[in-house]
Amino acid sequence: MSDFARQQNDFQRCILTGDDSVLTEILDSPKEKRETLFGVYKHAYVSRLVEAMRSDHKLLRGYLGDEMFDAMGEAYIAANPSQHPNLRWFSQRLPDFLKASEPYSDHPVLSDLAALEKALNDAFDAEDAPVLAVADMAGFAPEAWADLRFQAHPGAFRLDLSTNASAVWLALKSDQTPPDAVALAEPCRLLIWRQDVTPMFRELATEEAMMWGEAASGIPFGVLCSMLATYDDPAGAAARGAGYLHAWVTAGLLTGVSGGS
Amino acid sequence: MNVSSKIPLAGGPNPPVNDRPAKLPFLGFGLGLRAQHYDEILSGNPPIDWFEVISENYMLPGGQPLRVLDRICECYPVVMHGVSLSIASTAPPNFEYLRGLRDLARRVEPKWISDHLCWTGVHGKNLHDLLPIPYTREALDHVVSRVQLVQDYLGRAIVLENVSTYLQFNNSEMTEWEFLAELSRRSGCWLLFDVNNVYVSAFNHGYDPHRFLEGIPVDRVAQFHMAGHSHMGTHIIDTHDHPVCEDVWDLYVAALKRFGHVSTMIERDDNIPPLDELIVEVNRTREIAAKVLPPPIRQAG
Repeated sequence: MSDFARQQNDFQRCILTGDDSVLTEILDSPKEKRETLFGVYKHAYVSRLVEAMRSDHKLLRGYLGDEMFDAMGEAYIAANPSQHPNLRWFSQRLPDFLKASEPYSDHPVLSDLAALEKALNDAFDAEDAPVLAVADMAGFAPEAWADLRFQAHPGAFRLDLSTNASAVWLALKSDQTPPDAVALAEPCRLLIWRQDVTPMFRELATEEAMMWGEAASGIPFGVLCSMLATYDDPAGAAARGAGYLHAWVTAGLLTGVSGGS
Repeated sequence: MNVSSKIPLAGGPNPPVNDRPAKLPFLGFGLGLRAQHYDEILSGNPPIDWFEVISENYMLPGGQPLRVLDRICECYPVVMHGVSLSIASTAPPNFEYLRGLRDLARRVEPKWISDHLCWTGVHGKNLHDLLPIPYTREALDHVVSRVQLVQDYLGRAIVLENVSTYLQFNNSEMTEWEFLAELSRRSGCWLLFDVNNVYVSAFNHGYDPHRFLEGIPVDRVAQFHMAGHSHMGTHIIDTHDHPVCEDVWDLYVAALKRFGHVSTMIERDDNIPPLDELIVEVNRTREIAAKVLPPPIRQAG
């Protein structure tokens, strides 16, 4: 290892661990001691990452309050040093961290709230793609529909939550007192998407959630309708499936359709 | 090894170094593009000659940031300014990052691509800071080779900025300006002369900022940055959250006298005010240049 490489190794280790051995290689300035000067970098490291987390998780910060959020942020930073050159991706593992780390894991709503904010952030700058229009669907003959397969837009995806975090999100977003956090008997299934440039979400009924997940995995429309028939009135399954599909197309949730030729 | 300057590339993506421009264009007086001002800029056509964009803010899959950037690029000259190139890191270069930078440059077609003379991490970690280096011959050799590699990869000479530093290493063998001058001479990179950073580092290390200024080769400076800082009494921190202070405006006058017409921009990263307030500062860069210098000869491109 070159001397330059060793010096960078030591400098980084001292920022990450609080070790101060690198001070022997640093000069005092005319007006300040080296400890204080090196401290500028140590402080900047944590504060910059916490600031990035504040920006990505504004409502979680509002829910926890500044002091608790910052302490949580520092714990996350210690457990997940940034490995990506773009700060945009630094807090991607926050939901998993909150789910697995005490004391946050004792409050599952925190992980869910972080997951919802992350999903909306991800939808905001998800890959652009063409949007399927109602007119695109009109070209298929009725007998071709059973074989149609659909592609979800990169900015449209499902998120399942085990708590009422979406109600907490909505209250915080409108500056209202959030409801008490509760665990749900059945998961709350959300559809996340981007409308023009704005991230959106809505709750899905059980069978629509099933159909979205299966459609996004490439199951053809005819099979989707057979699956819907097991959830409710079999005679109305095709109409319900067509209704869900129409809503997805008009909301710009699909980017392509294939088959049925 | 500076491969592309030695091997002819018939139809290859990267022009040999000798084909790269002898001088970067004078763009006038610009501003750092920030999301808070998107609507006002797109709807108001403000009197700003050009924009500098933070590369990483647009190294994204898609969505609004890239859409806005496309529209800005239709109306204004744009330069890309990165914070994560980590050109002085002793770790292997992050080629995934470089690929993303190259892809963004193909979309933006920037007048130039800049970053900082610094490192941001080693061993796969990123500290997201512009970390200082010792000004040694070993470090210089290393950075020259990295700049040549990046320039070959991107197919263009890059622009490197002097960073604000808060400490100095006891094994430095030359001054920062000697390091920058030699780096530019050997690698062919251009220099982004951050007037505020010179002022900050000079105060922090107790030297006259004019010594720095006079040590930078006149013909290698492609751009000026003007920014504000936070004075802590015994040291200054480069926070970019205040207006440009009077001492830095004075140093700007000296920089104009030494370097002549150089593309200049106001850089604000935090505590971002309404666009009108920043346009006042942009106008001041323009007005001072008009007083200090004869009218510029605009170059095509």
